[in-house]
Amino acid sequence: MDEPALEQSGGVVQLRAVKISRLRLLVLVAFLAGGARLSAAIVFANPEQDFHPKPGEPEVVAKFQFENKGDKPVKITNVHASCGCTTTALAKQEYAPGEKGELTATFKIGDRIGEQVKTIAVTTDDPAAPNFALKLKATIPVLLQLTPTFLYWPPGEELKPKVIDVKVGPEFPIKKIDVQPSIPAVETRVEPGANEKEFRIVVTPKPASQPVSAVLKITTDDPSKPPKAFYASVRLN
Amino acid sequence: MAKLILRQAAILLGLAFLPAIASALLRPPQPAAWENPPRFGDEISVQEAERLGPQALWLDARPDAQFEAAHVPGAIQLNEDRWNELLPVALKEWSPARTTVVYCSSQSCGASREVAERLRKEAGLKQVFVLDGGWESWQAAHK
Repeated sequence: MDEPALEQSGGVVQLRAVKISRLRLLVLVAFLAGGARLSAAIVFANPEQDFHPKPGEPEVVAKFQFENKGDKPVKITNVHASCGCTTTALAKQEYAPGEKGELTATFKIGDRIGEQVKTIAVTTDDPAAPNFALKLKATIPVLLQLTPTFLYWPPGEELKPKVIDVKVGPEFPIKKIDVQPSIPAVETRVEPGANEKEFRIVVTPKPASQPVSAVLKITTDDPSKPPKAFYASVRLN
Repeated sequence: MAKLILRQAAILLGLAFLPAIASALLRPPQPAAWENPPRFGDEISVQEAERLGPQALWLDARPDAQFEAAHVPGAIQLNEDRWNELLPVALKEWSPARTTVVYCSSQSCGASREVAERLRKEAGLKQVFVLDGGWESWQAAHK
C-alpha cells in the first residue's frame, strides 16, 4: 500500500516530505491572502508622454489609457492639472475589475515656447495607490527669440542705442523682419546678425523730459496664416 | 469542533491584518502633488506683498476667464496664453522701484512660476516674486 501523501496527527499535518504545523499553514494562507493587494489596482500604460507640436498648432492632446487590474472597483475621485492651460476629460469615475479607461488631457499652447511639462494629478479611492502624477511634455518650436524683450533707460542714463538680438527658429524660413515702433520718439534699425538666422534691432530713443513708453511690433516674412507678430517694450525715464 | 473552526477563523482573520499593517507602515499614503508642493526662494506671502503697498506690481497669470471673474484689485493680466500681447501692457506699469508679485490659482498652479521666470529671463526684470498660496491665499486674507 502506498504511503498517504498526507496524514494528520494531533496538531500536525504531515506531508510526505515536510512537516508543517497547522498554525504555520494558517499563517502562510493569511499572508498570501492579505498580501495579495499590496500593488495598485489602476495601472496607466503611458503615464509620461512627449510631444513635438508643429509650428502653429494650437494644442496638444494626450490620451492616458489605464486598466483596473485589481479585484475591486476603483473610483477616480479627482483629476487636477497643474495649469489652467490644461483641461482634462474622463468618461466616468468608477472602473470595474478588468475594465479599461482613458483620461484625455488637452494642453492649450498659446504663446508658450520651448519645453513645457504639465502634470495631471489623479486621485483614486484605492488605498494601495491613491495618487498618480501623469506628465504631458511638449517641446514647442520657437519662431522668433528676442533677447531681451524689454529695454529701459533710467533717468540720467545716456541715451546710447541698445540692441535686441533676434534669433529665428531653425524650422522657420524667415529671411526678413520688420520693426514698427508705436511712437516716433523711438527709432529702430534692423541689422543682419552673425548668420542668416540672426538679426539685430538697434533701438535709439530721442531725448524726452517725460517718461516714455513704447511698443515695438516685429513682423516677419513668414508665409503662414495668420501672420504672427512679436513685441518688445521700451521705457525711458 | 465548532470552537476549533471559530478559533482558526479568528486566527486567520487576525493574521490577514498583518500584511495590511505592514503595507501601511512600509508604504505610507503619499500626499497628492498639490498638497506638498516644492518650496522655492522667490516666494512672497500675501502679508509681505501687501506691506509693499503701491510699490507692488500685481500680475495675474491665470487664464482670461478666471481673471475676468475676479482678481486682486489693480492687478494686471499676464498669462502665457496671450504673452506677446499682454507683456507690453504689463511692462508699461513696471518701474525699477516696484516689486513684481505674480500669482495664479493655488499652489498646484505652475503658471505664476513660469511667468516669473520669463520676466526675469526675457525682460531682464529683477525683484520678481511668486505669491505663496496663490489667488486662494489672497482670498483667504480678505474674507
